[in-house]
Amino acid sequence: MTHILLLEDLPEIRSWLRSLVLQVFPGAQVSEAARVHDALELISAVRFDLALIDLGLPDGSGVDVVTRLRDRQPEAQAVIVTIHDDDEHLFPALQAGAFGYILKEQPREMITEQLQRISQGEPPLSPSIARRVMAHFSAKAKPQAAPADLLPHVSLTERESEVLLRVAKGYTLPEIGVQLGLSRHTIADYVKQIYRKLNVSSRAEAALEAQRLGLFGR
Amino acid sequence: MRLRLQRPWSRPPARWAARWAACGLLLAGLALMAQVQAQPAPVLEIDRAEVAVGDEAQFPQGVATEPRALPDDWARWRGGAAGAVWYRVRFDAPDATLPALYLERVCSRVELHLNGQLLHRAGHAGRPGSRACQPPQLVDLPPALLRPRGNLLDLRVQGQPLAQVASRRHVGSLSALAVGPHEALAARHARALTLQVGVPQAVSATLLLMGGFMFVLGWLHRAESHLAYFGALSAGWALVEARRWLPDLPLAPAAAEFLQSALLAFVTLAAVQFLLRHARHRSPALGRWMALQCALMPASMVLAGAGRLHAVTGAWVLLFALEVAAAAVFHLRLRRRQHGQLPRPAAALLGLVGAALAIDLLARRFALPGALVDAAQLVVPLALVVVGLRLVQRHGQALQASEASRVHLEGRIREATAEIERNFRQLSELRVEQVTQQERKRIAADLHDDLGAKLLTIVHTSDDPRISALAREALEEMRLSVRGLTGKPVRLGDALGDWRAELMARLAQSGIEGEWEAPDELPQTLTARAYVQTTRILREATSNIIKHSGASRCAIRCAIAEGDLQLVVQDNGRGIPMEVDGRLDRGHGMASMKHRAKQMQGQCLVESGPGYGTVIRLTLPLDRATAAPPLGRGPADSMTH
Repeated sequence: MTHILLLEDLPEIRSWLRSLVLQVFPGAQVSEAARVHDALELISAVRFDLALIDLGLPDGSGVDVVTRLRDRQPEAQAVIVTIHDDDEHLFPALQAGAFGYILKEQPREMITEQLQRISQGEPPLSPSIARRVMAHFSAKAKPQAAPADLLPHVSLTERESEVLLRVAKGYTLPEIGVQLGLSRHTIADYVKQIYRKLNVSSRAEAALEAQRLGLFGR
Repeated sequence: MRLRLQRPWSRPPARWAARWAACGLLLAGLALMAQVQAQPAPVLEIDRAEVAVGDEAQFPQGVATEPRALPDDWARWRGGAAGAVWYRVRFDAPDATLPALYLERVCSRVELHLNGQLLHRAGHAGRPGSRACQPPQLVDLPPALLRPRGNLLDLRVQGQPLAQVASRRHVGSLSALAVGPHEALAARHARALTLQVGVPQAVSATLLLMGGFMFVLGWLHRAESHLAYFGALSAGWALVEARRWLPDLPLAPAAAEFLQSALLAFVTLAAVQFLLRHARHRSPALGRWMALQCALMPASMVLAGAGRLHAVTGAWVLLFALEVAAAAVFHLRLRRRQHGQLPRPAAALLGLVGAALAIDLLARRFALPGALVDAAQLVVPLALVVVGLRLVQRHGQALQASEASRVHLEGRIREATAEIERNFRQLSELRVEQVTQQERKRIAADLHDDLGAKLLTIVHTSDDPRISALAREALEEMRLSVRGLTGKPVRLGDALGDWRAELMARLAQSGIEGEWEAPDELPQTLTARAYVQTTRILREATSNIIKHSGASRCAIRCAIAEGDLQLVVQDNGRGIPMEVDGRLDRGHGMASMKHRAKQMQGQCLVESGPGYGTVIRLTLPLDRATAAPPLGRGPADSMTH
């Protein structure tokens, strides 16, 4: 039985999302929360398969919930459901380990389709997110970046970079599949891998930063 | 910029001028002396005399006389004896209408009797006088008193014995005499007067003036204290020489000798201190000793009494000479150490002055040729004048240099001030921008949280799909507006990527085959506002195609031409009906597209005909629509945090 966490502060939207989730995953058990605090408590109590997390919440940011979920239940899939479409809001959540995002105002049928794709391992990737991912990895590739022995060396393969570059230029994933002579499934795997690497690299970076600030090694 | 006080490779012309002037002055003096040596022809030179000692008013009768060669010097034969000495010479009347007697030098006073008649007196016989020796005398011999043959000329000379004078030059003495035509002797007299009185007078006056000026200069600039000592040295030397050119003052000869000698201590102090300070050396102990010396020397002279003046001053003067010589050597060594090489002009000048002083020193003890001593005595004041001019010139140069560096410094300060002001302005601009940015972000967050949440609720709770769609559009508009409000400049390449992804996805969803064409490398940037407005226009155009055109294909082409961004959206649909276009259609949003393009100083042209599809040509001037990203906040930056 699928166990789903639903974190959303607006009651109307929450109930709407609940019905939507139940449509995609019939018979799933949905735990609802309106605050970051409640969501964190639920995470420590219940094992989830999927979490739909809003970013702007009255008592904090959904990014914290994503981080906690990634720490406590690595196998659970965190999906951002938000009104913000800009990468400035989305990117930190993706770095924290979110596996895709859904824009709330889209028509119901589009959201259900996206949700299905995400749960099947086909996360969305917009050009601006792709650009930020590229910037993230190219900044790390610079020689003065972290020493190799302190940081698990995470870098993109040539193919992954190729996919990112094409996404940044506005090509859709099926188009890229055609251009590179790859199946839609393979392209989706690349994107999934990019998300994973972004998360690993960002976490290693955060750990290194914390070490640099003297939080560790005392 | 570095200022140099001395430029060895390009000497300032003033320095050369001073040197040439000094050389010229010396040459003129030497030429004058050479002329003195030349003898006019018809002059009777008298170099022998009968000498009798006695204080009488007439040539002493019945006293043993003694023939002596002239010039005669009491130090040779009189020892310490004082009192007048009579000299008698005989001569035949010269063949001249206006005969005259020339007496080059006599110390200290003389009375002249011709054939028993008192004819001339130099220095008041009954009164004390400050002069050690009289200037050259030219006495006209009245023809009425002259006999054709065997004229008797008696000279009563009053002078000082050697023991009572500081220098042998001041001992009672009489030079050779010359009798001849007035005109012939007048020139000789004038030359000797110039050399012995005129030139020393002029040079001394110069020294006094220059010395006073430099003393004040050095006094005011304590860092240049050597100037003050040089001033004191110059003025002091002029005063030491004063007895030669001042008129006879009513002062006892002993007192005059005493004062002149005492001044030497002071002059030595000034000279030694000048030499040391000029080489940037200060020695308080030495200064104290020099000052003490100034008091000790007169005291010792007083203690020794007038009778031993010559011995005491001789010893002191020797000591002074040694001190000055030592100071000069020390000065040269210091300067060599400071500059890495010996200052040749200074060394040469010091050598010359040293030689002159040595001659002067010897002349105090021994009888030396008068011309040599006179020349030596000119060297020191002339050297002082030259050095003084050089020092003033150096001081002027330093002043100029400091003025230049002050001007330079002021310029630097002005630059620095301007720089600070600029930085401050930039900082405050940055601060204003930061505050504005924060405020915009706050407004954006508020819009999302309040307006966004409410619109979202309408989207998902309204039963009417039309209202739901309107609310969704409003939400998208709001988001775009917020982006225009807070957004940073967008690279044109990135903007094209965003547009392509969105438009192609929408076309694909509607089953329309999309075609996209755009250049690859686009370094230009769009302002957030231009990006948002263009996004709206493209969205509107795409919506029109999806909703109204019934097209199966749509091509979007982007190009850069003549600094303009050109976007062409073309479909193969049924086109816009005439009547709709004529009424500046409402449903198709053409008017708002044109309006938005105009806001960006661009143009939006719509070409359409029934059955021919629609072409929308959007042209935006890039120099207006783009903006250079503000410093350090390029689009690349915004991606990396």
